[in-house]
Amino acid sequence: MTQALSITNLVKRFGGLTATDDLSFAIEDGESVGLIGPNGAGKTTVFSQIMGEHRQTSGNIHLYGEEISSLTTAARIRRGVSRTYQVPRPFSEMSVAENIRVGLMPDNIWRMIVEGPNTERELELALSVGFAESDLQRTPAELSMGDLRKLEMARTMATGPKVMLLDEVFAGLTVGEIAQIGDLIQQMRGDGMTFLIVSHDLKALEPLVDRAIAINYGAMIAEGTFTEVIDNEAVRASYLGGVA
Amino acid sequence: MLQILIQGLLLSGLYALLAMGFTLIFSIGRVLNLAYGSYLLIGGYVYFQFSQVMGMPKLAGVALAAIVGVVMGIAKFRLIVKPLKGDHVAVEISTLILAVVLQAAVVLVFGDSSKILLPIIPGVKWLAGTAIPYSNLFAAIASWLILIGLYLFVRTTHTGRAMQAVSMDPKGAAISGIDSDRVNMITWAISGALGAVAGVFFASYTQLYPGMWVGPLIIAVAVVIVGGIGSIIGTLIVAHIVGFMEVIVSAWIAPELRGVFTMLLIIVVLVARPRGLFGREEL
Amino acid sequence: MGLRWYHFALWGAFIVGLALLPELVSKGTLRTIIFANYLAIFAISWDVLSGRTGYISFGHPFLIGIGAYTTAILTKRFGVPVEVSIPIAVLTTMAGGLIVLLPALRVKGSYFAMITLAFMELIYQLVQVVRPDLTGGTRGMSGVPTLTRGAVNGFYLSAFLMVSVALTMWLLMRTRLGTALSAVGMNEESVRGSGLSATRLKMVAFLLSAAIAGLGGAFYIHYLGTIAPRALFEINFAFTIIVAALIGGASTIIGPVIGAFFLTFLLEYLRPYLPGAERYLIYGGVALLLYMYQPRGIYEVIRQGWARVRGLA
Repeated sequence: MTQALSITNLVKRFGGLTATDDLSFAIEDGESVGLIGPNGAGKTTVFSQIMGEHRQTSGNIHLYGEEISSLTTAARIRRGVSRTYQVPRPFSEMSVAENIRVGLMPDNIWRMIVEGPNTERELELALSVGFAESDLQRTPAELSMGDLRKLEMARTMATGPKVMLLDEVFAGLTVGEIAQIGDLIQQMRGDGMTFLIVSHDLKALEPLVDRAIAINYGAMIAEGTFTEVIDNEAVRASYLGGVA
Repeated sequence: MLQILIQGLLLSGLYALLAMGFTLIFSIGRVLNLAYGSYLLIGGYVYFQFSQVMGMPKLAGVALAAIVGVVMGIAKFRLIVKPLKGDHVAVEISTLILAVVLQAAVVLVFGDSSKILLPIIPGVKWLAGTAIPYSNLFAAIASWLILIGLYLFVRTTHTGRAMQAVSMDPKGAAISGIDSDRVNMITWAISGALGAVAGVFFASYTQLYPGMWVGPLIIAVAVVIVGGIGSIIGTLIVAHIVGFMEVIVSAWIAPELRGVFTMLLIIVVLVARPRGLFGREEL
Repeated sequence: MGLRWYHFALWGAFIVGLALLPELVSKGTLRTIIFANYLAIFAISWDVLSGRTGYISFGHPFLIGIGAYTTAILTKRFGVPVEVSIPIAVLTTMAGGLIVLLPALRVKGSYFAMITLAFMELIYQLVQVVRPDLTGGTRGMSGVPTLTRGAVNGFYLSAFLMVSVALTMWLLMRTRLGTALSAVGMNEESVRGSGLSATRLKMVAFLLSAAIAGLGGAFYIHYLGTIAPRALFEINFAFTIIVAALIGGASTIIGPVIGAFFLTFLLEYLRPYLPGAERYLIYGGVALLLYMYQPRGIYEVIRQGWARVRGLA
């Protein structure tokens, strides 16, 4: 098996605060891994370093064997890694279809001009996350939190990732929506997508991952199967706010 | 050398005063009030009308200018800033339009030609071969007194601390029971008064004409942004950097180039250090 | 691109209407329309930069001035023919656009707006003191070669330019590029998160805007025949451009054109009733009320009105 994403000795300091503390892990191609930890453990900071939104203080990030630390966010996305955000960030004055369209665009000005939008693919992506065809012309202002997360998923999928980083995809969703997104993730796993998923909803997360990694204060505290990790003493203590 | 020092201090004091009302609004309301220049304009003309045309005491003229500034500040907040609900772009554009409207209003009432303001205090003091008009000296000293007063007000009074709180974190301030509308209104009122008074001094330093607001607005902006948002001390220091730079450029290079260096300073500092030299704000 | 029959019909009607104007209106009105045409070009240019990407420029005359001065200096001081000087002016202005882009890589919002104001003030001071033998210093230049004689020819040239610019930009903004540029204005982080280089998109917007500003500025100066720094690098001029784009309707093409004609004619039709400075007071007041009533402009007012009419029918 090939490693899809590997992180080696990653360190990120903001002034005196160490947000990521010598963190190393690897994800095989086609694997789905849960990243858990209490609030403020540094999960989102790991995502933003993988995507290049924050540059790490030291350490390496490899995507399919290539060191991507010096690349811009856009270049990393073109190499096949993409993420969603805890707080969805749609283009507020564009329709659902246009939001997805931006994700589908090539990063090439000339092709943006001469090639028309791929409306079939836009529809296909919208339907796959659970929108109806009639939703395509709605704007973010008219959408519920669940719909906004679906839109974020669709736009992220539109960039054609091989590795997807999902940040709290279930927050603010109804039970029905959680099931819907869960089914979608399962289906994509079947198609060979690689996932790194952050979620506080451990019950919803469990069936979606092959194994889990727990971090606290930016450092790894446990790694193994999902059950092993959540039964780990240190993990339990960290969630209760105690010192491991 | 002494000449440059004296002129630099006088000009810098004036610039600090110009910038202070502007920095208050920018750091507390987080909006760029492009109509700030019109306080200066209207302040200058109010003083001109009452003290010079109607012959009222000079201090009364300055006080009236300050009152008109307060009224304008409150009106602007109630009629423009509040209805637009913190849409920064809309506030900037609306205040820009308002500035142009007020300029037209001044032309309508006072005509297009420039007016010379008589010095607030006539007479000149000679020091080290430099003529120091009492008026400029008075302006500089008044600037300093007003600035110290403002600093103490913001640091020590309850209202001043509420202003600081709103400036750092509007939501947090609201949760702590601070009425941010009231704080904003007080800020706009003070800013209006400071602007109008600065206008009287600035007009007596240069001259009074309907387009006079643009230059000081840009200087205020330069000083505030280069100094760093929300930093009274930073504003003060940069007012001196700009003031001295202009005096030095005028004396040693060429008087026409002084504005060029000020503009270059803003551009370079903003591009290289977006937070300004002393600012704490994240962009 | 989703072109429909009524798009062709509306553009056709617009072009035919413009072409017939000299038969219908007086020479004086025609001269007014020439100004409206150039203002429309400048407003479209401003809108590509600021309306789309959200980087509000308060110093658009900086770009227009570069184009105007380049061609004026080349033709008047060096005898370069206009066929050569205007393309050079456009290229020089595009280089100026890259200068404006520099701060946009680091700062946003109010800070960017202030830098553009500083740029305008900077060039205003520079043209007066650097090589006044070339720029004409404070007084500017007169006797710049003009391209047309008489109001009718001047009108046709300006209308041709305006329609070419408007139609080109309209077509371009209907492609995915237009969508991407608007996306930059709505959420730059999400543009990056969609795998697009926001920097390159901004560069495209700034270069397009500068090219139009340079083209408009150069032709405008060859229409006027004079160049005066005090009138060109003026906050009132910047104000007129911004307000034309905004009260017409930002992020559209026809909006800035509507806005430019609306402002020019408002000013012109107030003249008989209010000959003095009151005119500008009313003009600014109307602009302020319109803007505060509907920040999306006349275009949006018409669109909503039309939707209501169709809803009733």
